[in-house]
Amino acid sequence: MERIVQGMHYKEALQILRQADGYYLTNTARDLSQSDFKNRILLHTDLLAAHARENANYFSLEITGGASVHVDILRKQVDPFLKLELLREKMPNTMFQTLCRGVNLFGYRPYPQNVIRFAVREFAKYVDVWRVFDFMNHIPNMQAVFEEVQLAEKILEPSICFSTGPEHSDDFYVGKVQEILDVTGEDIILCIKNHGGLGTPKRIGELVAAIKQKYPGLIIHYHGHNTDGNDIGRITAAVLNGATIVDASDHAFTGYYGPPPLLSVIHTLKEYGKTAIGLNEEAVIESSEVLRNERDHYEYFESQFKGFSPTVQIHKLPGGAMGSSFEQAVKGRFLDKMPTILHDELPKVQIELGNWWSVTPGSQILWTTAVTNVLEQDRYGNPSGDLKNLLLGKYGPFPFYQPADWIYEKVFGAGWKNILAEEGGVEDIEDMDIDKERQVLTERLGHKPTEQQLVTYLQHPNDAVNFFKFEEEFGKVYVLPPSIFLRRGGYKLGESLMFKDHAGKEHVIEIGPKQKDEKGQWSIYLNVDHQERNYTFKEETKEAAAAAGPQLSKKEIEDLAKSGDMRATYSCNVCEIVAKEDEEVAVGDKLAVVEAMKMQTPVVSQVAGTVVEIHAKVGDALKAGDKILKIITEVE
Amino acid sequence: MKKILVANRGEIAIRVIRAAQELGHKAVAIYETPDTEALHVRVADEAIWLGDGPRKDYLDITKVIKAARKSGADAIHPGYGFLAENPEFAKACEDAGIVFIGPTSEVITNLGNKVIAREIMAAANIPMVPGTPNLSPGDEGLQEALAFASDYGYPVMLKATAGGGGRGIRRIDNDSQMREEVPMARAEAKAAFNNDNVYLEKVVINPKHVEVQVIADSFGEVVHLGTRDCSIQRRNQKLIEIAPSLIHDKSIIESICETAVRAAQASNYTNAGTVEFLVDKDMNYYFMEINTRVQVEHTVTEMVTGIDIVRTQIKLAFGKKLLFKQEEVKIRGHAIEMRINAEDPKNNFMPEGGKTVDIYRSPGGYGVRLDGFVYQGYTIPEVYDSLLVKLTVHGYSWNETVDRLRRCLKNFVIVGPKTTIPFYLELVDDPDFQEGDFDTSYLETHAHLLDYEEQNTEINKLAKLIAEIHYKEENTYAV
Repeated sequence: MERIVQGMHYKEALQILRQADGYYLTNTARDLSQSDFKNRILLHTDLLAAHARENANYFSLEITGGASVHVDILRKQVDPFLKLELLREKMPNTMFQTLCRGVNLFGYRPYPQNVIRFAVREFAKYVDVWRVFDFMNHIPNMQAVFEEVQLAEKILEPSICFSTGPEHSDDFYVGKVQEILDVTGEDIILCIKNHGGLGTPKRIGELVAAIKQKYPGLIIHYHGHNTDGNDIGRITAAVLNGATIVDASDHAFTGYYGPPPLLSVIHTLKEYGKTAIGLNEEAVIESSEVLRNERDHYEYFESQFKGFSPTVQIHKLPGGAMGSSFEQAVKGRFLDKMPTILHDELPKVQIELGNWWSVTPGSQILWTTAVTNVLEQDRYGNPSGDLKNLLLGKYGPFPFYQPADWIYEKVFGAGWKNILAEEGGVEDIEDMDIDKERQVLTERLGHKPTEQQLVTYLQHPNDAVNFFKFEEEFGKVYVLPPSIFLRRGGYKLGESLMFKDHAGKEHVIEIGPKQKDEKGQWSIYLNVDHQERNYTFKEETKEAAAAAGPQLSKKEIEDLAKSGDMRATYSCNVCEIVAKEDEEVAVGDKLAVVEAMKMQTPVVSQVAGTVVEIHAKVGDALKAGDKILKIITEVE
Repeated sequence: MKKILVANRGEIAIRVIRAAQELGHKAVAIYETPDTEALHVRVADEAIWLGDGPRKDYLDITKVIKAARKSGADAIHPGYGFLAENPEFAKACEDAGIVFIGPTSEVITNLGNKVIAREIMAAANIPMVPGTPNLSPGDEGLQEALAFASDYGYPVMLKATAGGGGRGIRRIDNDSQMREEVPMARAEAKAAFNNDNVYLEKVVINPKHVEVQVIADSFGEVVHLGTRDCSIQRRNQKLIEIAPSLIHDKSIIESICETAVRAAQASNYTNAGTVEFLVDKDMNYYFMEINTRVQVEHTVTEMVTGIDIVRTQIKLAFGKKLLFKQEEVKIRGHAIEMRINAEDPKNNFMPEGGKTVDIYRSPGGYGVRLDGFVYQGYTIPEVYDSLLVKLTVHGYSWNETVDRLRRCLKNFVIVGPKTTIPFYLELVDDPDFQEGDFDTSYLETHAHLLDYEEQNTEINKLAKLIAEIHYKEENTYAV
């Protein structure tokens, strides 16, 4: 039984895997966090579990990538690189694994080649195993990442995304494997990425067997989700048919849409005479004992709906999107429409749009389109910018068939054929002037950024700057346990919050009284390391709240738009303000671009006139009814 | 029991009040409206409001004398700054029959006039930087200036006779500058001191600033309390002072101290004073001036001699004899004083007036002394100086003292205004400072010490987030 450890040459690691008598386990902690806790599991918690996880001897720990890089800076307020550095200190032997979206890196739309290569080079300093996928299984979309990972001599794990349906045959996937091997050579691990947990154990077993039959020397890593409660069945079938590595995670944190419990996988496969190589079961148990105490603090981020969802076989939402879709349904008050959306509209949209793979960013396009179709009761009548790009082939060619003409006509109008001919095809994204971006960031921060900061910035410019400024103001907050950082409802009077800062210094903050004066100013009293402190906050007065305006109905927002008063139609972030003050605009002109649910949508003028007031600015988070800009229509 | 009115504000007022109270006397504070909440008003036994100020009432001799009368004060201690070296104030005290804690008005007059002071010192054979008498008015004076420069060479210093404390001094490097600056200096001196007399002095290049604390009773006894080095200055304002001077050659030190005593004797000095010298690279030393008051940096001398200078000042003023002889004065170890100012060193030491000290925590422990005016909630005045607290540390060896200084600087927690602490923390780690190798050019040649990172402590940042979560009842950055 040979252990694979961080620092080993990748060829040696692959050699050990090829000769393995048994199988290896990856702890997909990141995927668990993303699928069942909206990606909010804090570094603090991962650091608590680090020692036991290190001792468990996993093949790898998936701890970065996917949406986590973005959520790290957006919500958890932790530097994604620092996170890896700190975990590495506590876990010197365990290989770290990432999930990279190919040309979309860790974001939602394609990045320039030089940005991709720069980001991979920086992350490769910490990440040993690179799982790379593309939601269209379009191999050229992953090529830059492949090359950089190989240059960095890290383990490359290209994925074939898996789904079900008549097109998704063994022959198709074996063909895809060949396409991958043609560009990477054979020193890779092949991942079967079953992000929805689709298909039966039998189906997965057949697929693994078919690939193994064609490529007996190929190392297969099976990745699944337990959305239907049956992933252990699929994992078992995968291993029995020749998969060498499989994914699962700590049972104390397992939920419904992410990976299944590691121990159950180990126990099940043991009965079949399959050994988890090098695995220390006691350490696996210990990890969960450590983690169990933390789970309560994350309750708010767990799915609003408890229980497995075997209907995933119908709607095919990936595990990582399940929780957030229910959250959106609750916040958007369309929970009652969910059965229709999930079981009727979404499957229909999937077939109509080409029956490719429902995974980021494709899953967001499918989901948003299905939701809009149902809520607007006008199918494809309100296409998002990303749907348009998809139809234009900007993400890659449709693998099986192109959507029907009527959809193109509905989305682009009668002239769709010309639009498709002129604008269609994979976009060649121009390289970014990275030096110039470095200068821009230097100006925005007031000091020279590190290369890591620059990588983060190039992927998520506004969120990165906000995070860097947050860190300057509030410090390294990863030291705060979830019981403090994620506390809802404020702290209790007299409560003592104890923690160590990042330098290891002990601190205690005692919560004092909270008082409001007649002017509406709140005073928060804290005793910080035995020193009294007073923080004042200005309460938003009733007048200010009234000035912000009552909540407008959708109808009212639409009516205002027709008079030139452009409001946000739903909660969104402003990505771009296209219009300028005093500029004349015509009906159909793009005024701004907003982003919601990871989808960008243009705000289009419904009147002809002059832009007189611009209220929103790039980076603003708007609520439904918030002002974007105002156009005065020409008076005849 | 006597009553002593302290004609000052800030840390020196508190310093004097403490000494008065230790002697069993009552201390009377005076204040202007902006100082209504000030600490010296709290610690005094009584306080008298002078007026709205700012500064002009503290400088108003009539009002101060009136306050002394009103409170029935027997004596007035002037501190430093404000009226401390104004001979008219000492005279007014004398006329009013109030003991002025300091030398006589005549001595202050003589020593305050640089030209007279030079004459006195010349007569006593005290070595001095070559210089001119007051320049004659108009073009004649300019010709005298140019002649002096051609005799001794540039650069030369152009000084206002009535100036002091670094004010009214400018460096002249060539004839054309001289022609330009002499009339300007006159006009400025007229405006600032109501006296347009100016004179020239040869510039001693990059000297050390060494001064001697002297103390004299009214019975002819003059002793010195050793040297201080105040070379580290910005724009001629002292920042850091140490005692004793680190000049290795003890015979030079002895000679400087002996000269200081002679200078005090020559000027009929009584009470505490400071004789300032410039020392050049070749260990030539030149008399500069006598400060006729207690100095900001008197604390370092107190630490190394164990002699309470302010207490001694009060006792001498009330006619007591000096209790110690020269041979009984022993210098033990080293002391360093740093002025913790609410200033932004990176922004040319701009005062942080108007900012409030949200948190103030000070160091303590062995060999540490604090003379402060600051408290938690203190607002840096925009109309007075920005000194928060003087940190004085004492150690057996120079190294020990520097180590203690570093520790103390790190132990300060001051939240609110920017302070000179981060700059001092750079300075204590500077090899030249650690070696004691510094002169008056130190700040110019060590400008890199200002390249520090502004730092807020991690706990302050984290506490701010916790306050915000508590107020908003959730972490809006993390929802």
